[in-house]
Amino acid sequence: MTVKDIENKLIKGIASITSKDESSIKADVPFHELGIDSLGFVEILVYVEKTFNLRLIDTDLSKKDFETIHSLASFIGKTL
Amino acid sequence: MQVVIPSFGNKRYLSGFDWVMGVVDHVLKKTTCAGNISQLVFKLDSPVDPETVQSCLCRCIKEFPVLYGRVARDYNLAPYWQVPKKDKGNSLNFDSRRMENSPQHGNAWSFMEEWVNTPFKNENEHSAFHLLNTNGGESYFAMTFDHRLFDARGAESFVHLFQQYLTGDCNSHIGDVRLTASAELSQWADKFRAGKNINRKIIALSKTSMRSLPVTQYCEAKKGFKFSLIGFDSQKTGEIYENAYEDAGYLMVMPYLLSVAIRAMHGLFESRGLSADSYIIPVSVDMRSSQDIKQELFFNYASMFLFQIHVDMLNDKKALINEIKSQMYEQVQSSLPNNILKASLLLRIAPLSLLRKLFLLPFGGKFASFYFSHIGKCSYQYPEFMGAKISNIFHMPRVPTPPGIGIIFNSFDGQLNAVISCLDGLVSDEEIFALENSLRSEI
Repeated sequence: MTVKDIENKLIKGIASITSKDESSIKADVPFHELGIDSLGFVEILVYVEKTFNLRLIDTDLSKKDFETIHSLASFIGKTL
Repeated sequence: MQVVIPSFGNKRYLSGFDWVMGVVDHVLKKTTCAGNISQLVFKLDSPVDPETVQSCLCRCIKEFPVLYGRVARDYNLAPYWQVPKKDKGNSLNFDSRRMENSPQHGNAWSFMEEWVNTPFKNENEHSAFHLLNTNGGESYFAMTFDHRLFDARGAESFVHLFQQYLTGDCNSHIGDVRLTASAELSQWADKFRAGKNINRKIIALSKTSMRSLPVTQYCEAKKGFKFSLIGFDSQKTGEIYENAYEDAGYLMVMPYLLSVAIRAMHGLFESRGLSADSYIIPVSVDMRSSQDIKQELFFNYASMFLFQIHVDMLNDKKALINEIKSQMYEQVQSSLPNNILKASLLLRIAPLSLLRKLFLLPFGGKFASFYFSHIGKCSYQYPEFMGAKISNIFHMPRVPTPPGIGIIFNSFDGQLNAVISCLDGLVSDEEIFALENSLRSEI
C-alpha cells in the first residue's frame, strides 16, 4: 500500500469522525488545526487500528509522526 | 448564520442525555437549594452600560421562545420540550449591580456564587443574566443557565450568537428555528444492546470499593455550591500544554489534566483517611463535531467516559497517564460514549423520581468519587463583549450530588482555567486551599 493510499484511507476516516467533507481535509494540515481534540484523536487511533491493524495508543505520540495526515500516513507506511 | 434547532412544530423531543440532565436537575432540587444550573462568566476589563445590555438582551431573547419552554410528555410517552409561542410575553431575568452599592458582598466572587445558587423563578424560566461593575473599573457578565437547555459549549455559542446579533454579523433571522429531533422510537434492539453493554460496564466498576466524600450528610434544601477559580496566564498555559505533550503525547491534553486532577484529589481523600481501593470519575465529553456547534446550540450533546483508577497507581504519574489513555482508548473502541447516548434513550420512559433511586443502586449511593470536565476551546470567538475587552471566560457548574465535588477545566484566548465546584460544607476552606495548591503543583 502506498503512502498516498494510506492518506486517502485516513482522510476518509477523519472526514467521518469530524463530519467534514473529504475534499475539505488536506493531508498537510496539522491535526489540531482540523479542530481535533483528545477524543477525536483517540477516535482516529481506533480507526487506524481497525483499518491497518496497528495499535498506536501505546506508542509515544510524537508531534513529528502525528502532526499531519501525511506524516501519520508515512509513519503507518513504514510500520506496516 | 442560520441557527437550526432540531424541532417539530412547537415540540423538541428530548435525547436520552437530556433526560439524564433532567434527573440531575431533579436530584439537585431535592438535595440542595436549586437545580441543575451552571453559569458562564465573562470577566471584562472595563465597565458595561447595564441599560444597553438589558435592552439588547431583551430584543435578542424574544427571538428564542425555546428559552421559556418546559418538559412535557407526548401521547407516545416520549418526553419533549414544549416551546411556547413566540410572542407570549416572557420576561427577561436580568439584574445589574455595582460593588459599592452592595457592602454585604465582600468581592465579585460572592456575587457569582449567589447568582448560580439562585433557583429560577418558575418551570418556564431557564436562563438569567447578570452584570456586575466593580470599583476597580472591571466588570463581570454572567449567563446563568439551566443545564437541561444548554450544555457548556451551547451556552458559549449562545452568547457568541448574541454578540453576532449585536454586531450585525447575523445575516439571517436568528430566531428562525426548526425542530427536527426524532422521538427515537425505533431500532430498539440496538438500544437494548447498548444498555446491556452499559450495565456490564457499571457492574464491572462497582466490584471494587470506591472512595467518595460523605455527600448525603451535607444535602439540605438550603445548601448551595462554593467555587474556586485557578487561572493560568498564557505563558503558564503554554508550559502546561508542553508538559501535556511531553508526558501524555500529542493532543492528549484531556488525559493529562485528568491525571493532574486525580492526583490533586487523591491528596484530599488521603487526608480524610478514606480506605477504599479506587476512584471512579465520570468525565463529560462533547459529542458534537466542531462544525456542528452552530447547529447544535440548545440542549445537550455530551456523553461520558467512566474512568476507574486504583489507588496504588497514584504514585507513578507516567503510569497513571498511560492508564487513563488506555481506558479512554478501550472506551472509544467499545463505543461507550455512544452506547451511553443510545441506552439513555430507554430511560426516558421512567419518571425522574424513580431514576434518582435507580442511579444510586450500583454503587451503594455513592455514584462517583468526583466529577471532571475539560471543556476545551471556547466557542465564544470574539475578543470583546459589548465593546469591553474580555480578559477571561470560565464556567461555574453546580455538579451532581453525589459526588458533590468536581473540577472543570476550560480555556479562553490561550489561558487555561480550573474551577473547583463543591457542595457547601462538604470540604473545608483549608481543604479547598490545599486542593488548589495541589492542582497548581501537579500541573
